[in-house]
Amino acid sequence: MTSSNPAEWPEHIRRAFADLVLAGADDDFLIGHGASEWTGLAPMLEEDIAFSSIAQDEIAHARELYALTGDLLGRTADDVAYGRRPDEYRCSSLVLRADEFDWSALIARQFYYDHFDALRLAHWCESGYAPLADLSLRIAAEETFHLHHVDDWLVRLGRGGSQDARQKIQAALEAAWPDAVSQFEETAGVADLAASGLWQGGGGAAAMFGEYKAVIAERIAKAGLRMPAGGPDPAHLPPGGRRGRHAARLAEVLDELCEVYRLEPNAKW
Amino acid sequence: MKVYEVFIQVRPGQAHEHAGSLDATDMDMAMALAMQHYGRDQKCVHVWVADRDAMRGSEATGEPVFRLTDQDYRFAKGYAEVRKKWEKFRNKSDVEAYQQEDLRDFF
Repeated sequence: MTSSNPAEWPEHIRRAFADLVLAGADDDFLIGHGASEWTGLAPMLEEDIAFSSIAQDEIAHARELYALTGDLLGRTADDVAYGRRPDEYRCSSLVLRADEFDWSALIARQFYYDHFDALRLAHWCESGYAPLADLSLRIAAEETFHLHHVDDWLVRLGRGGSQDARQKIQAALEAAWPDAVSQFEETAGVADLAASGLWQGGGGAAAMFGEYKAVIAERIAKAGLRMPAGGPDPAHLPPGGRRGRHAARLAEVLDELCEVYRLEPNAKW
Repeated sequence: MKVYEVFIQVRPGQAHEHAGSLDATDMDMAMALAMQHYGRDQKCVHVWVADRDAMRGSEATGEPVFRLTDQDYRFAKGYAEVRKKWEKFRNKSDVEAYQQEDLRDFF
């Protein structure tokens, strides 16, 4: 069992643990940013307010996870959030999926993400590093509302009676499925973390994917929709977002997100 | 008999507050009884009755529903500091030099 003080961890363990947490922080940061782009554009006013609030929740979760990572790396949360090159981000390709302001594409992305995030947090609650376990518990409690929200939308689109809506959400679920699976790519050094007692890896990518699939298959069936088939093997994913390999879109999004920060990185807000 | 929930407004413009519940056979009886029970004994300007079966509560899981993560940026309270920062900046003697430099760079 490793010390509870990260300063005493070997460098490779600290790096692996930071990468693990960054995967969650970067996912939250980018899905929150994508969600915030819908402010003013959601299908109805009440939904607009609710979804903008969800976007702010995701950014808050990212901020707390960045602060935790910053403590490990001796950097500020802002510096970790805004001060990295694109290849230093650990988000999955799902959160970078462009929705082209199509509500069904957004709901599919959010559905796959919220359920993955809930599962990841449930496993992080068991982390041997108390600050991560405690924070995960608090974030998971807030995510409960996101799950209610997105599951309701899935049923609404699937069973609402509109053939158009049903076809659109089904197509959106199929199109995003490979990216949904890609969330299960492991960050570097996860095996070392298990050995050190900091995190058991959720029993491995294949086991976590099995848990995930059971939950979302039930929700998709409840919405009267078909579970997508095929897709990549979650246990043998090629190096992707979790190893810093991203589509060019990430750099474009970061140019926008980091524009103000880069003007004066040491400014005090 | 069905259960109706009663809400009263104590002063014009205020929110209606839950006052209690009563049994009635229908909405008309519920309103008549609510006026008697809640609308007259205490100061009140308006009464609502609602069929309890038509209402829904959130699941009572015991889980908190408020926010547990730090989201203080949702409150626009940082603006109070802007004036102080701005005044501090303006009082600096090097502002003029900075502005001249700025003018030289851009014009």
